[in-house]
Amino acid sequence: MKTFAYFVLFLMLAFVVILLAALLGARGAWYFAWMVGTAMIVLISAASAALLDTQEEHEAASHVGADAGSRT
Amino acid sequence: MINGTVVELSRIQFAATALYHFLFVPLTLGLSFLLAAMETVYVTTGKPIYRQMTQFWGKLFMINFALGVATGLTMEFQFGTNWSFYSSFVGDIFGAPLAIEGLMAFFMESTFVGLMVFGWERLSKGQHLAVTWLVALGSNLSALWILIANSFMQDPQGAVFDPTTMRMQLSSFPRLVFSPDAQSKFVHTSIAGYVTAAIFVAGVSAFYLLRNRHTELAKRSFRMAALFGVMATIGVITLGDALGFVDAQAQPTKLAAMEGLWRSEAAPMPFNLIAFPDQAMQENHAAVQVPALLSLLVTHSLDGTVPGVDELEQQAALRIDNGIPAVEALQVLSKHPNDAAALAQFKLHEQDLGYGFLVQRYAPDLEKVTPQDIARAARDSIPPVAAVFWSFRLMVGFGLLMLAFFVLAVLYSLRNRVQEKAWFLKAALWMIPVPFLANEAGWLVAELGRQPWTVYGMLPTWMSASTHSVGYMAFSLTGFIAVYTAFIIVEMYLMVRAIRHGPEESGHEGGAAPRPRPRPVLAPRPLPAAPRETNLEG
Repeated sequence: MKTFAYFVLFLMLAFVVILLAALLGARGAWYFAWMVGTAMIVLISAASAALLDTQEEHEAASHVGADAGSRT
Repeated sequence: MINGTVVELSRIQFAATALYHFLFVPLTLGLSFLLAAMETVYVTTGKPIYRQMTQFWGKLFMINFALGVATGLTMEFQFGTNWSFYSSFVGDIFGAPLAIEGLMAFFMESTFVGLMVFGWERLSKGQHLAVTWLVALGSNLSALWILIANSFMQDPQGAVFDPTTMRMQLSSFPRLVFSPDAQSKFVHTSIAGYVTAAIFVAGVSAFYLLRNRHTELAKRSFRMAALFGVMATIGVITLGDALGFVDAQAQPTKLAAMEGLWRSEAAPMPFNLIAFPDQAMQENHAAVQVPALLSLLVTHSLDGTVPGVDELEQQAALRIDNGIPAVEALQVLSKHPNDAAALAQFKLHEQDLGYGFLVQRYAPDLEKVTPQDIARAARDSIPPVAAVFWSFRLMVGFGLLMLAFFVLAVLYSLRNRVQEKAWFLKAALWMIPVPFLANEAGWLVAELGRQPWTVYGMLPTWMSASTHSVGYMAFSLTGFIAVYTAFIIVEMYLMVRAIRHGPEESGHEGGAAPRPRPRPVLAPRPLPAAPRETNLEG
């Protein structure tokens, strides 16, 4: 039942998004571009932070490896 | 007729309050989405450093938001107090977006701001993230409605003048909301706010990196701001181009002033990179031109042309001539609303009504209007060219400078080497005022370029103001400038204090590097023998 409720919820959400996209795409292309562009800017910015975490974990791991190698 | 000095003082007062207000707004627009980005990372990764980042930058956001709201309130009242004829003339159209803006700003945005600040311990992670996103949406949607109202002043779409009520009335709400000027202006302004916030966050993060304080928070903030900023700057430049394209159709006099274009020329038209426009002589001094660039920029074609000031003045003179019968018919209709002949005359000339108003400044009695009056009014139809020309170039120059900064910021940050580039971190600090100056310059281009109209082509500025005394206007202007300067000083003091204290002052746990404490200098003591290192693998 919960899965079905989620399915209906997301279906409605998809319907609203498609309707908005169709309306805005036809009458207000720049507004639509703002919505899509803002979401992209935020998500890419967020992804870049996650990338930094990964880079630092790699660097830390390589340092540990190098230290361990130098001790043996 | 309204005293010319009162009109000028009313203009200066509105310009001063708007310029002060516009120092706060872009940072709110952009920082709200950067907070949403930081909190999104916190919720998805669960790392406390991102919560600390959201709280720290959220604190700076709140300082800016509170003072921004305070400076914005008076602007809305000024429409009624200082621009009462304007408010009466276009209130039916202007009032709706202004009211929605108020609802967005004070109901949606402010409510969720409260939840964002006080909800950390009361809401779940997902709920708090939703609230932060709603704050960002609310901030930007309130900007959307005020910019729709402003766009109506630049390009009056979706409205007609009703000669029986003597004011403009809304004919199509969708045309008002979806006008090309409103769309491109909103996106341009909103994304300019993103750039402002990105430079601010990058600059403050650079400050910490230079002092080796809160480096984990600063590195992550710098990285996010760099990516956020580079994409936003590309967006701002793209939308600036779109806005120029729209202006070429809707506001040819503004475009001519932006380009210092005194005379119409054959395609492909050159672009004045640098020039010193002389309004009295209607020519440029010491112009440095790039061949064919203007046609390409403004019409997106090498064959396109745009009219120069000479051609626009001739068109204005013709429209003034055609607008005079419309104003005369309106004067008859104000006394005899059912006069069919006057109504017919008005309908015939109504598209040039505003130009008829323009010449009334020199000939209040239109029966006595002379060709010299028409020529003076036609000359008035051109905005102050030098101010618009240079404001535009400053805005564009700053925009390109910020793009170059962000490209380098992304390159250094993605290689995780930005903390080693001290010269670049110092440059990032110096970049903090740049977007604010660019925003102010952009506002000057938009609003000075609209002159001599409050509603382009419909209502001249000289007849829009209220009938105050010069003394009253001078007194209130002095008061506004004093209070708003105090606001700026308070904002800067609070911001600098919060930045100097750093994120640990927010009172929440996080991953910031602890601030080193000064240790007392002690006499050297013999150290205990160190244990021998154990080789775990051998």
